[in-house]
Amino acid sequence: MFRNNAFGETIDRAFNGPYIEEQEYDLAMAARIQQLVKEYDIKFDPARPVPSDGEMADRVFQAGVQLFHEIGVYHMDTSRVIKYGMDEIEEGLRLAPANFIAGEGNDAVWVRHRNIEETEPPLNLSGPAGLPVSEATYPQLLFSIAREAYVDAIESGAVATYLGQDIMAGSPTEVLATQRTAAQAREAVRLAGRPGMHIGDAATAITAIGKMAASNPVHGLRPTDARIVSEMVEMKTDHDQLVRVPHLKDYGSLIIHLMTPLTGGIGGGPEGVALMSVAELLLGAITYQADYHYVSITHIIRCNNSDRWGLWVQAMIGQAIARNTHLVATNDPFVVSGPCTPELLYEVAAASAVGTVCGFTMHGVGTTAGFEENHSTGLELAWQGEVAHAVTKSRWTRDDVNEFCLKMLDKYEHTFDDPNRGKPFEEAYDMLTVEPTQEWSDIYHRVRDELFDLGLEFTGKREHWPRRTAPTTE
Amino acid sequence: MSTEIPQGIREGITEALHSGDEEASDRLTREVLELGCDPVEVVQEVIVPALTDVGLRFQNLQIFLPELMLSAKAAQASTVLLEEEILAQTGSVPTLGTVVLGTVDKDIHDIGKNIVATLMKANGFKVIDVGRNINARVFVDAAIENNADIIGSSSLMTITRAGHKQIIELLKARDMREDYRVIIGGGSADQRYADMIGADGYADNANEAVTVAKQWMEELRKA
Repeated sequence: MFRNNAFGETIDRAFNGPYIEEQEYDLAMAARIQQLVKEYDIKFDPARPVPSDGEMADRVFQAGVQLFHEIGVYHMDTSRVIKYGMDEIEEGLRLAPANFIAGEGNDAVWVRHRNIEETEPPLNLSGPAGLPVSEATYPQLLFSIAREAYVDAIESGAVATYLGQDIMAGSPTEVLATQRTAAQAREAVRLAGRPGMHIGDAATAITAIGKMAASNPVHGLRPTDARIVSEMVEMKTDHDQLVRVPHLKDYGSLIIHLMTPLTGGIGGGPEGVALMSVAELLLGAITYQADYHYVSITHIIRCNNSDRWGLWVQAMIGQAIARNTHLVATNDPFVVSGPCTPELLYEVAAASAVGTVCGFTMHGVGTTAGFEENHSTGLELAWQGEVAHAVTKSRWTRDDVNEFCLKMLDKYEHTFDDPNRGKPFEEAYDMLTVEPTQEWSDIYHRVRDELFDLGLEFTGKREHWPRRTAPTTE
Repeated sequence: MSTEIPQGIREGITEALHSGDEEASDRLTREVLELGCDPVEVVQEVIVPALTDVGLRFQNLQIFLPELMLSAKAAQASTVLLEEEILAQTGSVPTLGTVVLGTVDKDIHDIGKNIVATLMKANGFKVIDVGRNINARVFVDAAIENNADIIGSSSLMTITRAGHKQIIELLKARDMREDYRVIIGGGSADQRYADMIGADGYADNANEAVTVAKQWMEELRKA
């Protein structure tokens, strides 16, 4: 249900708010962001990708609120700006959920706002993060994820074809493909013995009609699942996004707000992107009345967020949100490497550690920065959760994670210009047993041992659901 | 015989383009034209090198997207005046070629396409930017209307990439596939997909798109 009548106000302003050309809006926002970076004294230090400066996090938050209040949200269809008063912003934040149940029955998880350096591990709401997956591989890939004990919910990937033919967005093929992949996600969690597991989104669909076609309480996405409502870069929306909101509210579904702020884009460098990301989170909470947020920082050239800029922005936003709101935000690691490479595990470990100590719940992983088809497996997604558990068991602080990230960056940063994309699912897994190949398994164990030597206390061995061992017995 | 471009103005326009100073770009271009300098020379010797450098600085992230956008606006202020003058002097504006650019049907992600448009213009192409979320028919109609040489389409999302194929299929259906070179790009496109749908080329980034387009124009001139 809607939390208040703000959505009606949003629609009214989408038609009657101030008119401005899109480029003028972009440039006005870019200029204001740079002023706010100076006014609020926000500083990036490449030697410290995970800062533990709470006061700076608060300033990032305040600057982000000011940006959202002053600049507003741009509606791309009407060229109108939707602005909110400070009272509306405060009320929107107050009414946003601090926790909710995702999934149903024995497989439901309690998702809640997290604080900095919590001792409880985050949930791992994982999946291939919109990565393109072939129709043939899709069911096995989702099953490989759903059966991992360190995965608490799945997000379905996107297929590009329907019965071998290209899908055309907005056409019946989008609806047919979305219905089928939603049903396959439902089947994957059932086969994994977790029929009530939360499914985040039907990622094949990109239009409202496609997203809405996934609503099916028996074979598709249930109200206890979620669908994405996206924010366009930067701070923009349109009818196709907004029209999803009343449908999902009426269906009783959870809403995920996807934001993809670009480092090197309108926000400029990491300082500006951090404060702009706060403003974008407010858009999700207020304009879309979302339940949780995918904070998917994206490098404008490489499309990853495992670089120093990306890690710093994630660390800063996480802390800003944890200290100043009760929003539920997930980080969304996008990494350049692919399966069957140690670099992938290093990149994921860094992102997971940052998210864990900076107040995030886990989402992702976007392997190969989203470029290579089928380059996703259950192993690295479980690894993200496994590292998160280890970080909390080790009682790591932000300072510890900063040192850890510097060591991880040494291991993968040099590959950015020529990334190791690794192998597709069909080569990284045995397609019959749906288990990692010996090669991928050996790489995993080697990296795990290496990180154990760096002080990461793993809590139990990687295994399938249901757990045979308690997670804290090692 | 036209006047040589004074070094001070040459540097001034270059600086205006680098700093995105639209007013200075407009003022200095008017000055250089009043001095009787050849507008084609101004384009070739000042505007193109300055914007090419800006593009490279963006590719290396020495500058960010807003700076690139401001440089493009400053360049636009200058080229509008220069093209008017060229048209007045010669009756036509020389270009390297004409490119129709847009993002495919149902894809509204246009940042990459806008960067390509900026660098194409910087390198002397006439760019017909048809916008974002554009039906194949609009690409083809724009190509016919503007007597284009190249059609460039971009897609970010996996399930919108079929929009590239729609353009090629429409060209075939209208019996004009051989009339245009088609280049595709964007996050959901790659060389393999370009080959599969029968596109003439694929570019991984904006600079590569310009390189491919230049190479094609060279080939077309020789043909």
